[in-house]
Amino acid sequence: MNISKFMQDIIKKNMTLEDLLPTQMPVYVNSFAYFFGTMTISSIAVIFATGVVLSIFGPDWWHFTAIGAFVNAMHFWSVEVFYLSVMLHMTFKFFKAAWRDGRERTWMNGWIIFAVSIFSGITGTLLQGNWDSQWNSQQGKDAFNAMGLGWLGWLNYTTVLTLHIVFFAAIVLILIMAHITFVRSESPVRPIVEEDEKYIEKAE
Amino acid sequence: MSELSDKNLQGIPMKPYDLIREALMVLGGILIVVLFLAAFWGFPGRNYWPLTIKEVATKAPVAFLKRTISYFDGTSGLQTYGPPYTHDNENAQHIGPVCPACWAGVVFPLNAKEDLVMQPLKQIAQLDPSIAKALATYQEAGSKQQMAWDTAYTTALDKAQVKNGHVILPVGNYGPVPILMNGMLKFARAGLLEAALTYNTNPKLAPYETDYTRALLYLGGNIMNTVATHFHEQGYQWGMTHMAGPWPGAWWLWSYSFWYQIPLANSPSADLINFLIFVGILLLGITVPFNPLLRRIPYLIPVYRVIWRDWYARYPNGDPSRPAKKSRER
Repeated sequence: MNISKFMQDIIKKNMTLEDLLPTQMPVYVNSFAYFFGTMTISSIAVIFATGVVLSIFGPDWWHFTAIGAFVNAMHFWSVEVFYLSVMLHMTFKFFKAAWRDGRERTWMNGWIIFAVSIFSGITGTLLQGNWDSQWNSQQGKDAFNAMGLGWLGWLNYTTVLTLHIVFFAAIVLILIMAHITFVRSESPVRPIVEEDEKYIEKAE
Repeated sequence: MSELSDKNLQGIPMKPYDLIREALMVLGGILIVVLFLAAFWGFPGRNYWPLTIKEVATKAPVAFLKRTISYFDGTSGLQTYGPPYTHDNENAQHIGPVCPACWAGVVFPLNAKEDLVMQPLKQIAQLDPSIAKALATYQEAGSKQQMAWDTAYTTALDKAQVKNGHVILPVGNYGPVPILMNGMLKFARAGLLEAALTYNTNPKLAPYETDYTRALLYLGGNIMNTVATHFHEQGYQWGMTHMAGPWPGAWWLWSYSFWYQIPLANSPSADLINFLIFVGILLLGITVPFNPLLRRIPYLIPVYRVIWRDWYARYPNGDPSRPAKKSRER
């Protein structure tokens, strides 16, 4: 079997250039509700960009220099904007019943990203190097220990840093790439078709 | 387009679009919002520095000594915490036979008396002969005598007075314990205790050790609880959903913090119960497409008619093959 040819066929079938970089959209993609997905991705881009800068320069820089404190503040606020975006994104996807027509994996993938991002956020809190990180590490250890996750070393700065900037960041990134691939391959979900003006679920 | 898109978009009118243009516009907008928030509010946690052992030893010496003697005499909760620090499985959080902490085991063995007090004391003894002498006296005494001194000292701390930074105890027989505890107090006030605790975690790695478990655990209990209560950060005060001060924090964790606001939180296994409930909520969200009740909600509360109002104006029942009689193609 020619593996390259096999991969070519899969990509041609599931992800054409028109899917990847679309120049047209269904006319129903014409609502404020479509804004929050792009808003979520954009805030993640800012989180990653500022996070990379923070991890290069370290805690002394982000706490005790003006520019470092500013980048640190950008990182914090981009996380706040991310969660606002993702909550709105999930809410509107729910009310669109966006899992219809075989899009269950996209829905599930999105929720898994949200779940992983929570752990990513917690490790971020533990890295702040202030009272909040100290208190949350003190409290959080009890919850993680209770769940049998104490072995991860939540009070070891190197471990937490690695979890935050490598492990969880990589998982989030990979899952987001999968999410976008699913969304683009499937096309935006169609508006619900109501039978005889009654709200009857047609799918499934 | 992909085979799936071709199938899904069959019969759907299309309109021109530019993904990259839209993405750049939104990214630019988000960047402006974040820059604005960072410029005007900065990082909310910037003025709330960690609570240092030096700070506690200086401002609240009696609290520091109470914490230290609790490690020294073995009465602190840390000494019987259970996994991952000690083998007291009966104290690990559990629901019936479900005890994930027990299954994980003691992965960070901690002997609080030795690791948090005796090791630093031995180091202080190298610098101060009076501590070395007191330590020798204490270690040569029998365990019954040691316990008597420890208990007397602990009781006396409740009546201790602080004058000019000195902790003055009522007259009593405390043996060498006050000398040892004052040695710890001086060491802490010099700002050396955190460094010693971290160094002692693994002296072979001295300059590279980043496991701050011992230093972070030291002030646990009443001392940190008092500060957290002041900042409204206790579990029953919605804990980690906000930061110290009037700022937003991890507000998205309300569905976890919520369970600490009800009587369930009084259970000794509250963390395990609440964490499992939270995991359950996440699983409920993940499996909505397969949940016969939850997946019908969008049909019962038709927000989708607002989201796609333009579409439904053209196709009243949502089917593009059945346009509204008066509608015109744009």
